[in-house]
Amino acid sequence: MAGYIGNLTLFLSLIFNGFLIFSLIKGIKNNNFKELKTISFFNDSIFFLLLISFLILIYCFIVSDFSNVAVYQNSHTAKPLIYKISGAWGNHEGSMVLFILILSLFSFVFFRTKVIEKLKFYTVFFQAILILIFLIFLILTSNPFDQIVPKPLQGLGLNPILQDPLLAIHPPFLYFGYVGFSLVFSFALAGLVTNNFDKLWSKVANFWIILPWSLLTIGIGLGSFWAYYELGWGGYWFWDPVENASLMPWLAATALVHSNIVTFKKDKLHSWTALLSIFTFIMSLLGTFLVRSGVLNSVHAFANDPYRGVYILSSILLITFFSLAIFIVKSPKKFLYEKYYFFQRDNFILINNCFLIFFLSVVLVGTVYPIILDAISGKSISVGPIYYHTILAPFLFIFLFFMSHGPLLSWNKEDKFLQIKNFKIFFPISIVISSVIIFWFFNYKDIILILGLFFSVYLIISVLFDWFLQKKLTIHFGRLISHLGFGVLIFAIFVNAYLSKEINAAMKVGDEVKIQEFIIKFKSINKIKKENYEEVFGNFLVINKEKQIELTPSIRRYDQPIQFTSETSIKTNFIVDYYFAINLSEFEKEKIMVRFYYKPLMFWIWFSILLIAIGGIYQTFRLKNEQ
Amino acid sequence: MNNKYKITILAITIVIIFILFLRVLNSNKTYQPNQMIGKKIPEFILEDLFNKNMKLDSKILSEKDFVVLNIWASWCVPCQIEHPFLMNLKNKNKINIVGLNYKDENANAKNFLKKNGNPFSLIGVDKKGEIAIQLGAYGVPETYILKKGKIIFKHIGPLNEDATNKILELKK
Repeated sequence: MAGYIGNLTLFLSLIFNGFLIFSLIKGIKNNNFKELKTISFFNDSIFFLLLISFLILIYCFIVSDFSNVAVYQNSHTAKPLIYKISGAWGNHEGSMVLFILILSLFSFVFFRTKVIEKLKFYTVFFQAILILIFLIFLILTSNPFDQIVPKPLQGLGLNPILQDPLLAIHPPFLYFGYVGFSLVFSFALAGLVTNNFDKLWSKVANFWIILPWSLLTIGIGLGSFWAYYELGWGGYWFWDPVENASLMPWLAATALVHSNIVTFKKDKLHSWTALLSIFTFIMSLLGTFLVRSGVLNSVHAFANDPYRGVYILSSILLITFFSLAIFIVKSPKKFLYEKYYFFQRDNFILINNCFLIFFLSVVLVGTVYPIILDAISGKSISVGPIYYHTILAPFLFIFLFFMSHGPLLSWNKEDKFLQIKNFKIFFPISIVISSVIIFWFFNYKDIILILGLFFSVYLIISVLFDWFLQKKLTIHFGRLISHLGFGVLIFAIFVNAYLSKEINAAMKVGDEVKIQEFIIKFKSINKIKKENYEEVFGNFLVINKEKQIELTPSIRRYDQPIQFTSETSIKTNFIVDYYFAINLSEFEKEKIMVRFYYKPLMFWIWFSILLIAIGGIYQTFRLKNEQ
Repeated sequence: MNNKYKITILAITIVIIFILFLRVLNSNKTYQPNQMIGKKIPEFILEDLFNKNMKLDSKILSEKDFVVLNIWASWCVPCQIEHPFLMNLKNKNKINIVGLNYKDENANAKNFLKKNGNPFSLIGVDKKGEIAIQLGAYGVPETYILKKGKIIFKHIGPLNEDATNKILELKK
């Protein structure tokens, strides 16, 4: 019954969306928007109708209504409530409903901001076109309310690896980021079409860029954190295509955040900002395509229906074509003839924009090239961490250098001498700090490691220097905290990469092994039975010099469907994570495979990602209050 | 450049991307490790476990008529079970076996061979397990039969009577 209502509201939203587009076209044609109330009514109703559909879908999951295909395939009565709820977006159909809901939510909120009327209606128009495309996709190929007759008694269950509290919130954050960029995309097209792409545009856009950027940052951080403790391989970033799919819009958006500041402050870089606004959302769509079309095999690839893939592919390419065509025809051609200064803030921002686009290209090639090569020639190449690290690292250092000095430069005049003065302060301090760290902790010296530590320390010093120099901290707080976070992140990543240790062994209860400087004792094993799984815990004692750490990793056997997952045990003291995971041995019943990892500064990786996001969120609130 | 040209170029690019990705969508994407059978081994050069100047090179392997490549690790329990079979293949049947030491500590690996004997003529050290993945391995142990660098047979799990017989058959 609920399913019918859900289906109905979904269809109604499609019809209302048609009305909305129709009345907007009429208004645009006659160049008057007297029917403001009707437009506002349609826009709001679409949001509420979609919200009802989504809530009904959640309801179907909660009451385990197995007559619904999506519920049948992804849920089970013996699942805890929270996973029944998160199951609603833990599958292809439900996640597409969430996708469209967020599209309309942004349109709903945007309608209430103060913008020139024309700009507002065009934005809502483009947003409505996006909603139309994805609603048709949803209803035609992946209707979340499809019915099964007769009704099955029990569902198939949710992939156990996805049954995790973090994963209940990771997709919504990621989606708010991904889909959130749709608004600045529509807004940019509106600005281009109406020739309103100017300072005022970028002032409004600022909020709509930084908000999804912050949410995407958190979403990526959560996904990475989940991979770290759930997958049991000790890593937090695998350069997996699905991870890259979220990194690409993030890189484009980071460039956009900065170029938009230049557009706002100096009334420059209009075309570039417009292009980045379009490009960021296209990157989000590319990510959606890669993840959702079944092109990639991973926990994220829900659907393996080629028809869906073709539909997403064609609509994404159509969106790309039309948005770029609008850009080509209408791109703002303002030429400012002003003297070029190297040591000026907008120039440094532009340089780092180029670097960000370079990083983006590297990730794009690394992600897409192997897929296409495989399809065309049947050759498999593996593009792994080595590719990314060797290509990205050297340029990252230069990037960090410009990032250190950029914010200290003036917008309007060249101040080379001040920067040389700053350089004379930062350089010796960073040299001293990074060499102390290297000689204290590391037995071997690697040039990449030395440079990585040096430049990240350099950035941190420059941010702190900037911090204490600011008289009005409130204006700059967002930037300072995000930049500080980035410096700490790079520092932690380098230390972690070079100081991490991994031990593999096969052990049985009572065994003791000594590898490197660690002694691992396997003390005991015990079993417990939970609602939807059975868990076997191993009790281990790790002795590192004087320290004794008890760890209890486990293996879970889920009933529906029968599947084993390995649960890690992690103890952290903010400096080092002790990380333990076990696996069943296929060949010998008595022994189990143990993996022990020594992972320094992991806490700081998570904390710095949080700092980066907090900076963004602070900035959005400040902008909101200003408006 | 005229806008018309720009848009034409854009349209052509989009169509090309569409065709490329259509190919991707239509090709089978499920990862099947045994798809490597009948294919050439990936290119790699690995340091030997005992002698850093010696290299396990895929090019040299590709020149040999018959090579057995065994993926093993000292921490892997079933590797101990299959070890006598490897020793027999080498000593009795004079078969050239090369090893791929998977995610192992060098000292442990050497100890393992000291205790159980060394059937390998060369041992590539695959610290991160990357080459094993490229070879399409599920895990350790796994054994590959290479003819001129082509994988003609693969055995998953520890070797046994049947598997060794099969290897000897292939040798003929």
